[in-house]
Amino acid sequence: MAKRPAPKKPATKAKRKTAAKSKAPAERKSPAKAKAKTAKRKPTKRKTAKKRRFTLKRLLAYLVLIGLLAAAVFTLYLDVTVRARFEGKRFALPARVYARPLELYPGLKLSPEDIRHELDLLRYRRAADPGQPGSYAWNGSTLDLRTRPFVFGDGSQAALSLRVEFRGGRVAELSQRGRNKALAIARLDPPLIGGIYPGRNEDRILVQLKDAPQWLIDALIATEDRRFYSHYGLDPLGIARALVVTVGGGRVQGGSTLTQQLAKNFFLTPERTLQRKFTEMVMALLLELHYSKQEILETYLNEVYLGQDGNRAIHGFGLAASFYFDKPLNELSVPQAALLVGMLKGPSYYSPRRHPQRALKRRNLVLEEMAQDGKLSPRQLARAQAAPLGVVARPPSGASPYPAFLQLVYRQLKRDYRDEDLRSEGLGIITTLDPVAQRAAERALSGRLARLEKDRRLKSGTLQGALVITSTQNAEVQAVVGGRDPRFEGFNRALDAQRPIGSLVKPVVYLTALEHPQRYTLATLLDDSPLLLKQKGSEDYAPQNFDKRFHGRVPLIDCLVHSYNVPTVRLGLAVGIPQVLDNLRRLGARSPLPGFASSLLGAGELAPLEVAQVYQTIAAGGFRTPLRAIRAVLTSRGEPLKRYPLKVEQTSDPAALYLLTTAMQEVVRRGTARSLDRYLPASLDIAGKTGTTDGLRDSWFAGFTGDRLAVAWVGRDDNRPTGLTGASGAMVVWGQALAALDPQPLVPTQPDNVAWAWVDPASGLLSARGCPGAMNLPFIAGSAPTRRAACGGSLEQSMEELGQGMEKMGTKVKRWFERIFD
Amino acid sequence: MKALRYALVLSLALFLAACAGPSYTPPSTPPPPTAQASGNSAVLALLDQAKTQAAAGQDASAGATLERALRIEPRNPYLWQELARVRLEQGQYRQAENLAAKSNALAQGDRSLKAANWRIIGQARGKRGDLKGSRAAFEKAEQQ
Repeated sequence: MAKRPAPKKPATKAKRKTAAKSKAPAERKSPAKAKAKTAKRKPTKRKTAKKRRFTLKRLLAYLVLIGLLAAAVFTLYLDVTVRARFEGKRFALPARVYARPLELYPGLKLSPEDIRHELDLLRYRRAADPGQPGSYAWNGSTLDLRTRPFVFGDGSQAALSLRVEFRGGRVAELSQRGRNKALAIARLDPPLIGGIYPGRNEDRILVQLKDAPQWLIDALIATEDRRFYSHYGLDPLGIARALVVTVGGGRVQGGSTLTQQLAKNFFLTPERTLQRKFTEMVMALLLELHYSKQEILETYLNEVYLGQDGNRAIHGFGLAASFYFDKPLNELSVPQAALLVGMLKGPSYYSPRRHPQRALKRRNLVLEEMAQDGKLSPRQLARAQAAPLGVVARPPSGASPYPAFLQLVYRQLKRDYRDEDLRSEGLGIITTLDPVAQRAAERALSGRLARLEKDRRLKSGTLQGALVITSTQNAEVQAVVGGRDPRFEGFNRALDAQRPIGSLVKPVVYLTALEHPQRYTLATLLDDSPLLLKQKGSEDYAPQNFDKRFHGRVPLIDCLVHSYNVPTVRLGLAVGIPQVLDNLRRLGARSPLPGFASSLLGAGELAPLEVAQVYQTIAAGGFRTPLRAIRAVLTSRGEPLKRYPLKVEQTSDPAALYLLTTAMQEVVRRGTARSLDRYLPASLDIAGKTGTTDGLRDSWFAGFTGDRLAVAWVGRDDNRPTGLTGASGAMVVWGQALAALDPQPLVPTQPDNVAWAWVDPASGLLSARGCPGAMNLPFIAGSAPTRRAACGGSLEQSMEELGQGMEKMGTKVKRWFERIFD
Repeated sequence: MKALRYALVLSLALFLAACAGPSYTPPSTPPPPTAQASGNSAVLALLDQAKTQAAAGQDASAGATLERALRIEPRNPYLWQELARVRLEQGQYRQAENLAAKSNALAQGDRSLKAANWRIIGQARGKRGDLKGSRAAFEKAEQQ
């Protein structure tokens, strides 16, 4: 993927270079080496001079010659260095990571509050008349905005003036402002959610000289280098002053031109020695020799260090403008430009956030210098000096607000890109993050965990958790929360907490059975009676049900609905443990799984994201799509470099999967997850599964609606018991997160070869509507029971039989029947 | 009252059974007009755009546009089918086959849509050299 090789890590480069440089003068001083060189260069002369005596004068002449030669070589070396750096890529640019672009269209479920958050995240500004890209105005429930131009992976979109009308939590109308033209669809530019920074954590936004306001340049020249436009890289006056100070015993200091400063920042370490100063001067002369003042100035503007944000170094005026004023460079006012220039002397000493008084004094000094230089009138000076600092309290953070999601993005990128390219090529990464879903997920996890601790008198801060949300059909990862503090950049439980999955494995056991319709249907009676397993090499194993009771012969669907362990183990042994584990892998699990009977009850350990991949395939009707966090990668110029297209692979029989999904819907309707109805209406027909592990250590819930899939885990980092079941822990987190997202109902598509029939749960035989306890269940063609259980033989029953005969004509008619009877 | 309802159902059932008799002939299978593919104007606009892009040979962009549409209507079998067509055009035969299968899984009673999917599967298999599978798929298309 990488085109040209990126420059090596700047830090090591600089070090190596100084090392090389310090060698050159050392050579000059060493007489032994000098002699060796002479010996090499003039063997013939030496022969003829054998009889002559060396005069002191001659020796001196040689030494001078050698010195000059060495200086020439040294200069040549510096010249190559300077030009190589300038001709090549001058700066390592971090990769910029974006959330998904928000698509606006009539009918879209989006509240005014949702879009307010989106505009905040985009750092759009409120304006009376939103004519500038990135500004907006509200007028009741109508939003006027002008988007920023953006190049997406699939084409570019110029700045658009949009009018969006909201009604009933939806976008009611969308039109192009000014032209009064209704639009079918438009998208906003995607919010920037983080960066992947170069080795030294340098961050910068490249600017061109023409983007810099004139007063910024004026301030810079007035303060740092008045004779910039007239000198040749060095300022003799400045040097003289510096020499006097140095000779007088002071430290080496001052007198640097902008060109020298650039040479120093670009090529040298910050140590202050005469030798370094000399090198810097030669380099400055060379820079001036090869490049125009404009080029040098532009590179200077982008190079300088202007502050620190955590471990991120703020470089260049472009990023500094955004970091301190939340503005692009060309919008800076005179005092703002002067403040930044003033900070060059010591970005942390003059930090306007930490030392506002100091910074203000320094800024006003810069303004005075500008006035002295004739760039400001006395009136302008007075006004600028009276202006407040104008620094925004909350800098647009370079640290991502979504570190857990960014980790996932970074891992997926690492499969295709070299680390150094990610950190230097200025790539644009468009991801699948949905800030709306992410916010709901974060709130649900941190809020619910605190609440659980309080309600259950657990020690505060002991519970941890993780939550992953994806879209069911496209497998796009919309939200990742790696712990209860969503801003924490450390251990990411969603990706890395490998925990036993407990009963979350059961759907896979049942799917494996249902894939043999001649042997197993949802109505097959399974044996729930005491079981003792004797396995060679391991202890006897006697699985128990959660309620410590046995329930006799239970229809297969009810074993899943109530999450009975004993019949599940029996079923798994009958279909084969290797078959179950194969199926688990086919659905998307990657971690190694032990082939013990206990694996049938979820002894195998998976991270929440991996569980999401398995359930993803179930939610997508047996079509596996690798979970994607990235849609496209763009070059620094916005050209598409790589797309991550939607790929599907059919892994399971849709009919068996349909049966399984129906059973998982029953889990929520009347099984272990029935209390989910406290958060979400039963009419959504959500499919899900609870999971609880030994001693109540891990609490899981995985489930899906029509549009979203989510997996929640709750437990403790030290793996001690939490006292929570899947339903009382993870499921409440899940429920609150999804409830905030107003999910779509789940209506699985019924395959042609599936038909419904009424079944008697006690016998597993055919029954009829209205018979006591009769269940209506889907069957794969030819697998429904044919023998009939007794049910009083009413007219109702015979009519029902007629109804079943009709099924051959298609289920639509059947449904129509049901509607009439309801 | 109940008896009356049953009688009604019975007569209706007989009527429907008669309808479903030998008089039924499978409809011919022209590709569905765009307007029928979705009730959502945004999806229709994207579908149109994708078709324009595909016609101009910009298959990658057409695919990306269809993915945008699929984010809005992930269960729309027409969109999955269109994506299958684009992948077929791009020579990604396995993807074309899987995407057409996905479209089939969501197609419910739409026979003409399914027939078109089976033809895509048939072509994809043929291109991969699976002639037997290809023939089977084309037969399936005929049976729809």
